[in-house]
Amino acid sequence: MQSRRLSLDWWTVIGALAAAALIKIGFIPRIPW
Amino acid sequence: MSEAIALQQPAPLGLPARLARLLPGVALLFAIGYAGKLAEQLLRDYGKAHHLALPNVEYVLWAIVLGLIIANTVGVSPVFKPGIATYDVWLKAGIVLLGARFLLGDVVKLGGISLGLVAIELVVAIAIMTAIGRAFRLKPKLTSLLAIGSSICGVSAIIAAKGAIDADDDDATFAIAAILALGAFGLFAYPALGHLLHMSDHAFGVWAGLAVDNTAEAAAAGAIYSDAAGKIAVLTKSTRNAMIGFVVLGYAIHWAARGQATAVANRAAFVWQKFPKFVLGFLFVSALATAGAFQKEQVASLANLSRWAFLLTFAGVGLKTDFRELKKQGLRPFVVGALAELSITVVTLLLVLGAAAVFAL
Repeated sequence: MQSRRLSLDWWTVIGALAAAALIKIGFIPRIPW
Repeated sequence: MSEAIALQQPAPLGLPARLARLLPGVALLFAIGYAGKLAEQLLRDYGKAHHLALPNVEYVLWAIVLGLIIANTVGVSPVFKPGIATYDVWLKAGIVLLGARFLLGDVVKLGGISLGLVAIELVVAIAIMTAIGRAFRLKPKLTSLLAIGSSICGVSAIIAAKGAIDADDDDATFAIAAILALGAFGLFAYPALGHLLHMSDHAFGVWAGLAVDNTAEAAAAGAIYSDAAGKIAVLTKSTRNAMIGFVVLGYAIHWAARGQATAVANRAAFVWQKFPKFVLGFLFVSALATAGAFQKEQVASLANLSRWAFLLTFAGVGLKTDFRELKKQGLRPFVVGALAELSITVVTLLLVLGAAAVFAL
């Protein structure tokens, strides 16, 4: 189980943070609900 | 936790091919989730247009019920399965983004209260499940899995523990099916009971986070009650999830001492490996929001993105719950699970009502 590659858990966090960054810099202007 | 996702292949495929395999299932999650959202709007609009006082049925419930019906009638074709398994990824991403709706001070305060309640809940849940498992003479390792599943974090905890205590595949499959089926029942029962007891959004959220085993279902139970309760349920449940490493380590040591599991070499590394990383992401986004990194509209966008991620998750909850799995091991382990859950429900309810009185939740 132990490997040097990042686990899917980490990639999920990185993906969510990347989305937050895109919203922060205004690349994604507005997300409706 | 990552083992929960069926991304590992026997033969290594390239990234584009792996992503392509996920598409049908993800599209199905979206279709069911969105159908739930439309159903909520349609019912509301119909009520308004005809001046009827219809109950507000949250999209969460629609999405779960639609998923349940599909999974337990026509069944889910294998082509959708890899994509449906991503529901866990959307859940964790949704939780990280939800951090934007929390000030770090609130997280510390609520998290602190939750941590105290979680500690009590853990001890009580493990004791109850173990006692009932013994009384009904279940296999000890199946009892361990059910105890871990009911005390911590449902499916991911069972999967994490399965390897650590060398449990059978059958036992793990059953424990997962039982936790999901009991959780599905809880989705209907908890909000109804919460309304009956006139619980506040905060109190109900803490209760859902403490009592409902699977993170997706805890979030769903909270969201069915109200948006605010959903938020609190996720926070409480995440606190509970953070304990996963310690509980699984405890069981690993227990079974290794009996020569029935491999000994854990490095305990700190073991706890860290099992620690849910999305909790760190959640705290990081909450810290950014507290520091004023996001404008008001940006916080709204982050919260909405989190809602879309949860929408996919809730569709997955229904699709993953297969009542037919339960029949394979017979009724006895399920009765044990149900009895234990019922006791845990009552104990956590009393805990929350007590805490609500003391901390004005």
